[in-house]
Amino acid sequence: MAGDMKRIPELEQEKYDADEQVKIICLGDSAVGKSKLMERFLMDGYRPQQLSTYALTLYKYTTTINGRPVLVDFWDTAGQECFQSMHPSYYFKAHACIMVFDVQRKVTYKNLSNWYKELREYRPEIPCLVVANKIDADMRMTQKSFNFAKKQGLPFYFVSAADGTNVVKVFKDAINMALSYKKNSSDFMDVVMRELENFDLERKEESAYEEEEEEEEGRAD
Amino acid sequence: MAIIAKRCGIKFDPPSVILIYEDEHTSKLRKRVMPVRSFSQFSDCSRAAERLKLHPRHGHYLDLVSVEQLVRLHMVLRDHLRGLSVEESLREQRRSHTHEEDLNKLSDEELNRRKAQMDVLFELNRRHKDDPDFVYDLEVEFPDNSVRETCSWDQSDEEF
Ligand SMILES: Nc1nc2c(ncn2[C@@H]2O[C@H](COP(=O)(O)OP(=O)(O)OP(=O)(O)O)[C@@H](O)[C@H]2O)c(=O)[nH]1
Ligand SMILES: [Mg+2]
Repeated sequence: MAGDMKRIPELEQEKYDADEQVKIICLGDSAVGKSKLMERFLMDGYRPQQLSTYALTLYKYTTTINGRPVLVDFWDTAGQECFQSMHPSYYFKAHACIMVFDVQRKVTYKNLSNWYKELREYRPEIPCLVVANKIDADMRMTQKSFNFAKKQGLPFYFVSAADGTNVVKVFKDAINMALSYKKNSSDFMDVVMRELENFDLERKEESAYEEEEEEEEGRAD
Repeated sequence: MAIIAKRCGIKFDPPSVILIYEDEHTSKLRKRVMPVRSFSQFSDCSRAAERLKLHPRHGHYLDLVSVEQLVRLHMVLRDHLRGLSVEESLREQRRSHTHEEDLNKLSDEELNRRKAQMDVLFELNRRHKDDPDFVYDLEVEFPDNSVRETCSWDQSDEEF
């Protein structure tokens, strides 16, 4: 199942192997503010590419790091459950992940563990930043500690897409972490993951075949 | 003086929280009117409720009234300022409460409705690029995790 959704035909993903290109994905429940954060960071200097069938928006961003141009593709998708089948291609070759929850809705915090689990199935090692958004709506939340990030050993940020608090910082940190991940990791994990996926597919075909045989023999249980 | 809260409600004009309570010593029923000050259709109801609960004069009358109830009452007051009737406000509250659970399952239309509601506060708190005090890279430091109090969201049974 994961295999056939691997690639979104409209998108060429091989380019992310080049040194100066990184892919950063945004995860989190519906309406936590992923798109608003994106827009606040990019202001009006962005050219989004919308793929509505996949509820996917791509934002291209160029910056200079250590005197060298870097192209960042930000992938923003909808939190809605009906789009979950496209997740494998979403994670594919990502170099960092920004994981967002809404400080006004507990359920979005509780769901972080599900998002994180899925992320780690596809990308066991990429840097992941945890972001508590909408602090403008309830500043008291910034006096609280949130165990999830601490427990997983992930960097944590209080932000507001509305008033701009720490938004640029999160994105800059994410870009730097993505670049250093890319530099320091061989694509070893990627290769292993791909092999595992192929393996899975083969196994599934096999078992489907067995079932057919059994049906022909007319099992009576 | 010991206060036994009996009922807690609101009055629209001027916006106030009303408490009917029994004074334990005299066993008499009394009514206390607590005006809700500097409150608008954009106010944060949890903050307003908390402020009343900690109020130097009114606060201790409300010891037996839960913050949640005070928040709900403030929401009715706020929705009144937004032009909603009491019934509409309560219906809205019930609806958003059940939907609070998981917006991931909503239809596009429902989700957009919820986002439109969120936009009221978003636009109010929003700093625009052409505001004179706009800072693009606004960095704010918050107290270190170790000195912050544990969030109640972590206290429930579920593990991470
Ligand atoms: N007060 C406040 N509201 C915010 C903030 N960020 C987003 N919002 C509100 O939350 C709503 C949802 O934000 P989006 O950016 O659309 O959420 P999303 O995570 O992209 O949602 P999906 O794409 O549906 O998964 C917005 O319409 C805003 O009204 C913030 O920092 N503060
Ligand atoms: Mg979005």
